[in-house]
Amino acid sequence: MLTILWLKGLFAYRSGRLLGAIVGVALTVALLASIGVFIASSSATMTRRAAADVPVDWQVQLSPGVDASGIANAIGKSTAYTALEQVGYASTAGFSANAGGTLQTTGPGKVVGLSPNYRQHFPTELRLLIGSLDGVLVAQQTASNLHVTIGDTVTIQRVGLPPVKVIVGGVVDLPNADSLFQAVGVPAGASPQAPPDNVLILPDTQWRQVFDPQIAVRPDSVRMQFHVRITRNLPADPNTAFVYVQQMANNLEARVAGSALVGNNLAARLDSVRKDSLYALVLFLFLGIPGAILAMLLTMAVAASGVERRRQEQALLRTRGAATSQLLRLAALEAMIVGVGGVALGIAIASIAAGTITSVGLFASITSIIWTANASLVGLILAVVAVLYPAWLQARNSTVMAARAVVGRGRKPIWQRVYLDVILLVVSAIIFWRTASTGYQVVLAPEGVPQTSVAYETFLAPLCLWVGVALLAMRLCGGGLEHGRRVLASMLRPIAKKLSGIVSASLGRQYVRLARGIVLVALAFSFATSTAVFNTTYNAQARVDAVLTNGADVTVTGSTAFAPGSMLSQLKALPGATVVQPMQHRFAYVGNDLQDMYGIDPARISDVTSMSNAFFANGDAQATLAALAMRPDGVLVSQETATNYQLAVGDQINLRLLSASDHQYHAVKFHFLGVVREFPTAPKDSFLVANASYIAQQTGSSAAEIVLIHTTANPADLAIQVRNVVSALAGARVTDIGTTQKIIGSSLTSVDLRGLTSLELTFAILLLAGATGLILALGLAERRRTFALLAALGAKRNQLGAFLWSEGAVIQISGGIIGIALGFGIAQMLVTILTGVFDPPPEVLAIPWVYLVVMTLAAIASMVAAVLSTQIASRRPVVEALRDL
Amino acid sequence: MDEMLVHMENGERTYSRGKTPVAAVVSATCTIMPGDRIALMGPSGSGKSTLLHLIGGLDSLTSGRLTWPALGARETLRPAKVGLVFQMPSLLAPLTVVENVEIPLLLGSGSADKARAAALDALERTGLRSIADKLPEELSGGQAQRVAVARALASHPRLLLADEPTGQLDSATARHLFDVLLESLRGTDTALVVATHDKVVAERLNTVWHMQHGILEVAA
Ligand SMILES: Nc1ncnc2c1ncn2[C@@H]1O[C@H](COP(=O)(O)OP(=O)(O)OP(=O)(O)O)[C@@H](O)[C@H]1O
Ligand SMILES: [Mg+2]
Repeated sequence: MLTILWLKGLFAYRSGRLLGAIVGVALTVALLASIGVFIASSSATMTRRAAADVPVDWQVQLSPGVDASGIANAIGKSTAYTALEQVGYASTAGFSANAGGTLQTTGPGKVVGLSPNYRQHFPTELRLLIGSLDGVLVAQQTASNLHVTIGDTVTIQRVGLPPVKVIVGGVVDLPNADSLFQAVGVPAGASPQAPPDNVLILPDTQWRQVFDPQIAVRPDSVRMQFHVRITRNLPADPNTAFVYVQQMANNLEARVAGSALVGNNLAARLDSVRKDSLYALVLFLFLGIPGAILAMLLTMAVAASGVERRRQEQALLRTRGAATSQLLRLAALEAMIVGVGGVALGIAIASIAAGTITSVGLFASITSIIWTANASLVGLILAVVAVLYPAWLQARNSTVMAARAVVGRGRKPIWQRVYLDVILLVVSAIIFWRTASTGYQVVLAPEGVPQTSVAYETFLAPLCLWVGVALLAMRLCGGGLEHGRRVLASMLRPIAKKLSGIVSASLGRQYVRLARGIVLVALAFSFATSTAVFNTTYNAQARVDAVLTNGADVTVTGSTAFAPGSMLSQLKALPGATVVQPMQHRFAYVGNDLQDMYGIDPARISDVTSMSNAFFANGDAQATLAALAMRPDGVLVSQETATNYQLAVGDQINLRLLSASDHQYHAVKFHFLGVVREFPTAPKDSFLVANASYIAQQTGSSAAEIVLIHTTANPADLAIQVRNVVSALAGARVTDIGTTQKIIGSSLTSVDLRGLTSLELTFAILLLAGATGLILALGLAERRRTFALLAALGAKRNQLGAFLWSEGAVIQISGGIIGIALGFGIAQMLVTILTGVFDPPPEVLAIPWVYLVVMTLAAIASMVAAVLSTQIASRRPVVEALRDL
Repeated sequence: MDEMLVHMENGERTYSRGKTPVAAVVSATCTIMPGDRIALMGPSGSGKSTLLHLIGGLDSLTSGRLTWPALGARETLRPAKVGLVFQMPSLLAPLTVVENVEIPLLLGSGSADKARAAALDALERTGLRSIADKLPEELSGGQAQRVAVARALASHPRLLLADEPTGQLDSATARHLFDVLLESLRGTDTALVVATHDKVVAERLNTVWHMQHGILEVAA
């Protein structure tokens, strides 16, 4: 009976607070559950993209003389597969061809035998430039070395046998030559073998005719492989998938007992994204957890705002004969309503978010189910802690609490006496310093080893900073309000006028409540700010990364023979092509090592693509490019090259470049200017950068193999027009930055943070509005009394307003300033700790002006709304208000 | 008769809380002149507080006529022309004694400095100068009511309405408070109306009004 009565009262008179607590629990649960969804979704995407990238999953290399059908059987037993192709690799002494009366010859090369089905099963290994894929194919570089094209004859110098002549049917690019020609069975971590400079591809029947005799004479000069595409039912998580694929390969190797080795490209690829997936996990945690903590704090504050009411209720119930145990049972019922309601609402919000923002449903993966379950548990515990615990405290000592509520004179809280705030800040600084100064890796996923580790303790740096600043702010604001009344009064004069003195005195003596409010608002501000700043920085960096890979907004790549640079004027004429610049992409021998060489116009390259300081070892893009412009024969080389040749700035270095007139490599003098680490479109390993004009002069060809285009319009649309322009150029490829950004599967920057951050940014604004409204609700009982008295004493409406507006302004302005500063601090800390996420790391934080403005406006709007509604709520006839005193 | 501070004719105040209307003041006709010292007596619930609220301009009549010929319009009565002492403890918890006393002055037209000076003066007159910087929670009940009296006096009102200012005090403290009140009004023409149950208090004033079931009886 009592229960029903009490429940009626709960819903009738305390529906606001009840709803507030439910929403707080719901936000907590929703945020935590969404983190699970995002983690699950991002690792599934990473695994899928990584696997999709792999041209051939396994290259199973047979030991000489082993029966191929036996191995094929064993493969079938170890894994289900969707494609299995036998591929022959034969070494040759070289190739030669007669072009235009002169004989061109090459060094040793490889001849690969492929079945007619191969290119359907493994479509990304070959890319036809000219001719047809049905006949004999020549790799682009070889064709250019031999100066042959379709219909020309190439002589294969077999090992230990007379040469054989074949007729060229097509020229191809081998985009995945590195893995195609990998040395199978070399332990992981050994330096990879460079692919052969000269390659010919024959149909398998023809290859058999040509090389079966060579197998007989020199069995060691020929290798057979099975190329396998395994059935793709991989586990969603990259690490699990890696272990799974690795174990299948181990199983195969054990089964065939040494007669074959597995080149496990798929495992290697998954291996390389494991670290990224861990970083994604860390990112989601770093960004999501503070929001959940904030939601929890708000829930507790909402529940605590009812302390006074609850005390009265308990007293009333006691007078009606309720025992303490009964009171607690009622509070437990309330906690249950809050908990169950909050969890249900939270799961509903999370599943809507999951449905709209990610491709993964809330209950679609084990990871997100576990997260949702844990989130629900946290929600229930939160309800108990927020509702039941204070009720229990009150039931035990029913009168003590109320007296302290209004005026904060008395002992300092324990954390202030032990300087917990200072301790936390020191801890944060130490952890951060250790992480930042030692280039410490937050995430470890050693290559080839199934175990991974995340240094979760680095979380403590931002967390301690957050809590430490919050407590310090509480101490300083409390102290400032308590002792700096005169300053406060003069600041409040514009709002409170003559009343500023007593308003500031009143606020100053309620410093405990006010400081709590300021800190809550500051935390909400900092959460929103840090999330937005980190997100913007991350997106900007993802763009830089995509620019680095793609070269520019739109990039055209072709060959020396069909150089897109020849279409420059047509490309410039396209609407939307703001800046168009040619760039040479040649090859040069550094000693015996053939490296990519880029010829640029150093004075103008930065107009078309971003030249980050991080690209250059000296950390100064402008100076490096200026030096290159000053020195026509200057060259930038990789760190490895500089170390190998012990180069000092100004040293002469001879590189061999292909001459356009005689198709031979000739030595060209360069001068070493500096070390380049990364460059648009350049590979991750060694490459060279020099002046285009000098390269053109020395090689007799000004052909530009790459054209970079900067646009202010949509790059994808421009790419379509560009494709039309260059369609006549054989083999020319047009890529745009957006597409590239999606393709860079390995890179963490492809993880779409947009889902999580848009969810969080929305929550952040809600939390901020909630925090602001709450602060004013927190002191409502005391405020009602104040208002009634002031009104009875003759205060006008605007004079009553002075108290509210002053309080709102003090909380909002101090909270805003502290919060935004803290938010930038946290964002900077995150960027530093998570340097591994960025490639290259950002130079400065990107500032999300629009969001910051929207956030501040939302905060101000909610403050204004809270003040106005409090004003309306306390606008009662004076006599009635007086009766409640 | 421009000298009249308050003039009420057939005043009636009915509250309509819930379904049954409650007539708190049924019929009241009265006049208050400068220098009057009036005790308002009557049992609990007879409408004393309601009548004072009406006279002080906090509440308005349901029917009848109420004017303040010497004071002006109702809106101008507070904070300065009418001083009020409430039945319930009425100090603002986060403000010190002197800050509480200066509130009506700050709400009025004078400057902040003048308000502070007048507040200190009022505390001096009521013998509270020594506790000026204490907070309400540090005062005894008697001290708190004396501060409320000081606050009502601070603006030198022409009419002082005190609603059972001694209601929650023991009789010795109550009489002392009353002494203070009368002492500080001595020699002024400020009119005083005190609602009280205390016969001894009533006897010290020159006029006694009686209230019963909302009907005011003014002795001729
Ligand atoms: N705002 C109101 N709403 C409803 N009823 C009211 C209101 N104010 C007063 N009353 C009723 O009017 C009657 C008179 O109340 P009032 O407070 O004036 O009496 P009182 O003489 O001051 O009593 P006490 O000596 O106990 O203070 C009471 O019955 C009371 O319940
Ligand atoms: Mg009364």
